Amino acid sequence: MNTQQLALMKKDIRSITSNKRVLTVMLMVPLALTIVLPSVLVFCITLVPESTADFQKLLEMLPVSAEEQNQEQLLLGLVLNKIIPAFFLMIPVMASSVMSAGSFVGEKEKHTLETLLYSPLSLKQLFQAKIMAGFTVGMLVSILSFAAMMLVLEIELFFLTGSVLVPEMSWLVVLLLVAPAISLVAIAVTVRGSAKAQTMEEAQQCAVFLIFPILALVISQFTGILLVNSWILLGLGIVLAVLAAALMKGAEGKFTYERLLK
Amino acid sequence: MKAVETEGLSKIYTGGNKAVDNISFCLEQGEVFGFLGPNGAGKTTTIKLLNGMLAPSGGSCRVFDIDPAQNPEKLHQMSGVITEHAQMYDHLSGMDNLIFYGTLFGRNKADCEKRATALLERLDLADAKQRKLSAYSTGMRQRLSLARAMMHSPKILFLDEPTSGLDPESAQNVNTLIQELASDGTTIFLCTHQLRYAQEICTTYGLMNQGNLFATGNIEKLRSMVSDKVKVRVKASCIPEDMECEKIGEHTYDISVNSEEEIPLLVRRIVGAGGDLYQVSAEQLSLEEIYFSLIDKNHAETECGNL
Repeated sequence: MNTQQLALMKKDIRSITSNKRVLTVMLMVPLALTIVLPSVLVFCITLVPESTADFQKLLEMLPVSAEEQNQEQLLLGLVLNKIIPAFFLMIPVMASSVMSAGSFVGEKEKHTLETLLYSPLSLKQLFQAKIMAGFTVGMLVSILSFAAMMLVLEIELFFLTGSVLVPEMSWLVVLLLVAPAISLVAIAVTVRGSAKAQTMEEAQQCAVFLIFPILALVISQFTGILLVNSWILLGLGIVLAVLAAALMKGAEGKFTYERLLK
Repeated sequence: MKAVETEGLSKIYTGGNKAVDNISFCLEQGEVFGFLGPNGAGKTTTIKLLNGMLAPSGGSCRVFDIDPAQNPEKLHQMSGVITEHAQMYDHLSGMDNLIFYGTLFGRNKADCEKRATALLERLDLADAKQRKLSAYSTGMRQRLSLARAMMHSPKILFLDEPTSGLDPESAQNVNTLIQELASDGTTIFLCTHQLRYAQEICTTYGLMNQGNLFATGNIEKLRSMVSDKVKVRVKASCIPEDMECEKIGEHTYDISVNSEEEIPLLVRRIVGAGGDLYQVSAEQLSLEEIYFSLIDKNHAETECGNL
């Protein structure tokens, strides 16, 4: 990254943060997934224990028997380490795709892309700077959401149960591998769509299909079909990283001045 | 080294639309080249070809000996471009926009601020420099675009309608600036519909119609393509009966002569015939008259060719 690319990245990030509508969308989803949803689950488990009967089957599938640990703690662990990570993956997908749609098609819509193309940055450098802007925002929103979630959850748990819950190693895999990889996949898909899309919404829709595998993962957590653990997440992260690399390479080749100006 | 050189340059868009058809011309450094023609003549396409935004379908072009299609980044380092679709960021102030674009050209922030301040001052935008672009009028945006294109002190400026949306005073200010730039050695490639302004600032011209460059040269050359005659407007009490003329008002006549040298002879004949002379002026064809005359001629030739 040279200084010109950094200037472009900084400008892209500023464009999004100065757009209240886009910023609201970008903050509402993490707020719902990392503060509201976990809090509702924690309150249900600790304050209305009978509502947890539905989780009984799930508990039976866990490697630890209910006798070894308090059932409430087990359920809280299940929520924090199995269910929320699946929901959490929606955050990098959403943040990165909103950011990259704005940064590619948004420029096209506002007729500012042509001005950028007349700069001495090569198309590859422009492409890299814009991807880095999307990735940085995606990761920043994800990490801040995780930090906010942990802070709120631990405070709630401390007041409700008198103890705190330590997140499992799987969270580290999510934050360091799966979230960055899925963020890059979302960016690559959005960028590929941007070559043809005329509006930001059209470009964002390209990444919507990524939500379906995440929803399947969420459902599998609730039904116990495939409970995530560090190894499953590691495998998923590697597959996503390879997919992101392949998609990026393909997307890069799609960009020519002529196509971008259409 | 030529500033711009094209040889049989053509561009056919997908779908078969021939936007630029086999055009060849050369520009010297420091020239102000007026690229004139109606909408859809291929002017903007030519600018895009010369900046590497479009790949030519045929022929070649070089700008300061750089092939734009092969090395656009190197060319962009020394060129500034204003087109209708090259806009700036509404959420940034005029000053921040200029600093951003200056940084893209590798200048440091302090340099950019200094240069931006000078340009904003020069283009009467100093009072609005901290205002967001969304609050700028069309004319202010246009002037800021010119400042943006000049941020990196380019060797060549491609200006597509730089005075559109400007009030006469601002347009005059921009034209003076263009002339100053040209006198400092910057080559200007100017597309415009405002022929009166073009005549004030351009040194050479290229006339386009339906993708064809049908006339190039300075105004004298273009004038000679329309007519070799000089029109003399005479206000006299009477003129000799055998003198060929066109009466255009009371005691006012247009008379065609072959050259300015014939004017004293003409005056002597009128006075000799007992006429009182009140006014004599050699009327030269303006760029506007030349343009319409040549465009009509080109249309007629195209239609003949099609038949």
